[in-house]
Amino acid sequence: MSAPTMPVRREPPPHPSGNGAGPEVATAAPAEDPRPRDVEELCEQFVLVCESAVDPLEISSALEFDGLSDQAVRKRYGVSDVFALAEEMYRRVPRRPAEPEPLPDPWRVSKLRPALHGLLYGLPTVCFPAAAGLLAGRGVLSVLIVALLTSWALSQALAYLGYVRLGRGDAPQAARLLLVGMAAGTVGVVLAMAVTALVAHVHIPALVFGVGLGAYMLGATVLMVLGAERLLLVVLAPGVLGSAVFLVLGRPPQLEYAVWGALAATPLLALGLAAGRAAREAGLLGRGGRRARTGLSPAKLLVAADLRGALPSAGFGLVAAGLLVLPVAVGLPAHQGTNTGALLASLPLALSMGAAEWMLIWFRRRTQKLLRATQELRVFSIRARLVLFAALSQYLAAAMLLAVAVIAAATETRLIYPHWTLLPQIAVYMALGGAMFNALLLQAFGSRTFPLVACAVALAVEVACRGLGVPAQLVVCTELLVVLAGYAAFVLGKAVRHAC
Amino acid sequence: MKVAMMTEGTYPFGFGGVSVWCDQIIRGMPGYDFRLVAIVATDAEQVVWSLPDNVSSMVKVLLWGPPLAGHAAGRREALPLRLLRELVDTLLDSSAEVQPRFGDVLRELSEFAQRGSLSAGLASEKAVRLLSEAWRDRWSDTGQPAPTLHDAVTAMQLLEHSLRPLSYPPVQADIGHAVTNGLGVLPALAAKWQYGMPMLVTEHGVYLREQYLQNRRGPYRWPVKAFHLGFMRRLCALGYSEAETITPGNVYNRRWEERLGAEPKRIRTVYNGVDPANFPALTGEPEVPTISWVGRIDPIKDLETLLRAFSLVHHEMPEARLRLFGSPPKGREPYLQRCRALATDLGIGEVATFEGRIENIRDAYDAGRIVVLSSVSEGFPYSLIEAMTCGRTCVATDVGGVTEAVGDTGLVVPPRNPALMAQGCLTLLRDAELRHRLGAAARTRALENFTVDGAINTFDEIYSFLGAGRPLPTAPPEPDADDQSGELLPWDAAV
Repeated sequence: MSAPTMPVRREPPPHPSGNGAGPEVATAAPAEDPRPRDVEELCEQFVLVCESAVDPLEISSALEFDGLSDQAVRKRYGVSDVFALAEEMYRRVPRRPAEPEPLPDPWRVSKLRPALHGLLYGLPTVCFPAAAGLLAGRGVLSVLIVALLTSWALSQALAYLGYVRLGRGDAPQAARLLLVGMAAGTVGVVLAMAVTALVAHVHIPALVFGVGLGAYMLGATVLMVLGAERLLLVVLAPGVLGSAVFLVLGRPPQLEYAVWGALAATPLLALGLAAGRAAREAGLLGRGGRRARTGLSPAKLLVAADLRGALPSAGFGLVAAGLLVLPVAVGLPAHQGTNTGALLASLPLALSMGAAEWMLIWFRRRTQKLLRATQELRVFSIRARLVLFAALSQYLAAAMLLAVAVIAAATETRLIYPHWTLLPQIAVYMALGGAMFNALLLQAFGSRTFPLVACAVALAVEVACRGLGVPAQLVVCTELLVVLAGYAAFVLGKAVRHAC
Repeated sequence: MKVAMMTEGTYPFGFGGVSVWCDQIIRGMPGYDFRLVAIVATDAEQVVWSLPDNVSSMVKVLLWGPPLAGHAAGRREALPLRLLRELVDTLLDSSAEVQPRFGDVLRELSEFAQRGSLSAGLASEKAVRLLSEAWRDRWSDTGQPAPTLHDAVTAMQLLEHSLRPLSYPPVQADIGHAVTNGLGVLPALAAKWQYGMPMLVTEHGVYLREQYLQNRRGPYRWPVKAFHLGFMRRLCALGYSEAETITPGNVYNRRWEERLGAEPKRIRTVYNGVDPANFPALTGEPEVPTISWVGRIDPIKDLETLLRAFSLVHHEMPEARLRLFGSPPKGREPYLQRCRALATDLGIGEVATFEGRIENIRDAYDAGRIVVLSSVSEGFPYSLIEAMTCGRTCVATDVGGVTEAVGDTGLVVPPRNPALMAQGCLTLLRDAELRHRLGAAARTRALENFTVDGAINTFDEIYSFLGAGRPLPTAPPEPDADDQSGELLPWDAAV
């Protein structure tokens, strides 16, 4: 009658008398009702229904659904009506409910996707040293910091809005929202750069680089939310390959303009491909679009509640970017754009976000299995915390392996000459990575305020103690890791948090 | 007079019979001011009807998505543990004596939902603990698969979503008219408890029966299913006992309503109606002996049986054709594919044609010499009374209110029985005199009993009595649904 509002499968059950099977014989069969004349036989026919019934009314509905009426029941079985027959059948057949068919595991995803994500997060790191020529002069540091903070905050908010809309099963509207959000975000980045230029005197090339960074982040966010990670590889190809070749060749000055061109191609591609993809999904391109065909008026693009919901995401993006940038920025003279050592230390962290995604999925699958196998809350909470500890340990191990690999590769290509002073910086990033992993986990389970506040406090302390250098960062990041892990253990030990 | 009309998953967000009915009632009663309370799954759903001028407001009640944003802010009062425990106890106890207690608990929950966050209370670890412990206490002796924590979490989550309508501010009017039982009566109950608004419940199908059928094959494990259906049963029984008047769309539904405790004297059957101006009598018949079917392409319409029946007809009468008008709703496209494949397998792919949605539905009835309905579940189907108003006789399955609609003006056959359906079709296709006589009788019957004006007049009367706080005059005794069987019931002989 009505459209389903509760999520239940709505296939009518197969016909118990087996009308659906067997060869099709096109003959006018005798008009005989195939139902048995005996209640016991009827019970056998409906045995699955009876064994799984929660009460006699469930059997009544099944009997009626099969075409039995009160009149037929009276004639055939000599009972007053379908309800009485169902009660009799409920009495005769003991309850032995069948287990429902297992639903497809939503967390069963290929390992390739998180790995690809890690690569995508890490690859842009290569572009910074290649762009050193652009990033010279006064105020560059402010440009980079403002660009990173703005674009992280905007892209986190945009991703949130896109996923929320996708979660409501409204893909065309989600794509439309992403398209509009990307345009608005790019304008936002440009404005932020303009304000920075007014406050600090900055060279134009650095400003352009900042705008490009923001445009890339926003375009990449749209492509990721739309599940088009592979297009991101195309986006990154010119910038990353150009930079890599430039660096490996030892930064030949005659190639400088070429590499800047390649760097410019990446944000332009990001915006172009993301816009194209989103427009296609929104039905704005191609054959008229889905919405146009149904003739429905589209739902409101943005409601106040969604915008409010996006605020913690924007805040977290801002704070996370701050935490990542700070070690790179601290201790640099104001005119220098990059700190190669710290930048290199941040690369394993970016790559390890792929491992973090994978461990997040692993944690989900493990705890879902646990929830289905446990009857006591106490047992569940102990085991869930052990799973959390295992996930965190595995993440940290993966991050360390990546760090070792990156340092080995960088040494091999003579980008750096390793020195023990790099170690504390790497430790800072490992602790920060662990903290981010816990923050992501908490966010995935619907706890968004606590990680935001904890990270914001940590950032404030780091900024206040920036004169104390790496040791202070190490202390703060380690404490952040401990606090977030402790809170995660508290929150994720509750069964109700694992509802999905 | 102001009427708060409560719907679930239908008007004005969906198509289908119930939505058509709501639109007819509201448009037909311009003197009333309607306030819609529409329960839908998520915010993504959109209004697909243009709302008449006498709809003065609409509240969209969301069952899924995040719980009411902003609404719950500032409500810090925690759901009392005692109330939570009583709720769980009444839902796990299936004895009849507990029903009044369930009503009291729900009323308290409804009052609490206006002060504190009911969703937060039901989605809490405390609630999960209560349910899992209550289960453990009761489960030891049953020998059935024990409930897990996942079951407890899922069951409480379903309950939390089901009770979300209580967290919206009740809509004030002179009457609350729930156009369904179940979740749709929650806003009507809340309004009744808060403002003393009399409550009217209209049912086209039987809500609880549909719940049983939907949950038969999962996706939930037995403990969750039992808990959820237990809640639905209690809620539907409460809807019947709290309603001042119950208006089923057919006599057949009364059985379930009375079974669940509805007082017979409060039940008044009101049949669906069509506007005769839209369905004038058809003149003439198609030259080829054609059977016409109209509806949504949906498993509940059991097109497999229809196709099998037609393959038997085709065997006897090779020139016969079957034309199916209608399209599958979103997500049911695979069913259409299955039906097409079946038609091909049966060798009737050329003569049984799926024609899609039709602009003027009367043309669909015009396309057939007879109209057939093969559904396994129906309330009081519009396609049938429309065809009758056009003067077409039909072969229809004996489900829901079909026998009441058809009476002795067509053939009623048991559902899921291709042989008998084929026999009925052949009888009518071969005997032009019988077909025309029944067609004329069908039109007379429809014009007398199933016009939209008739339905509107009845609701006008019910509204004015309820709004004035007077009891409805006793309705004339209604015939037993079983006694209204069609003229020729070929399966009667077989029973």
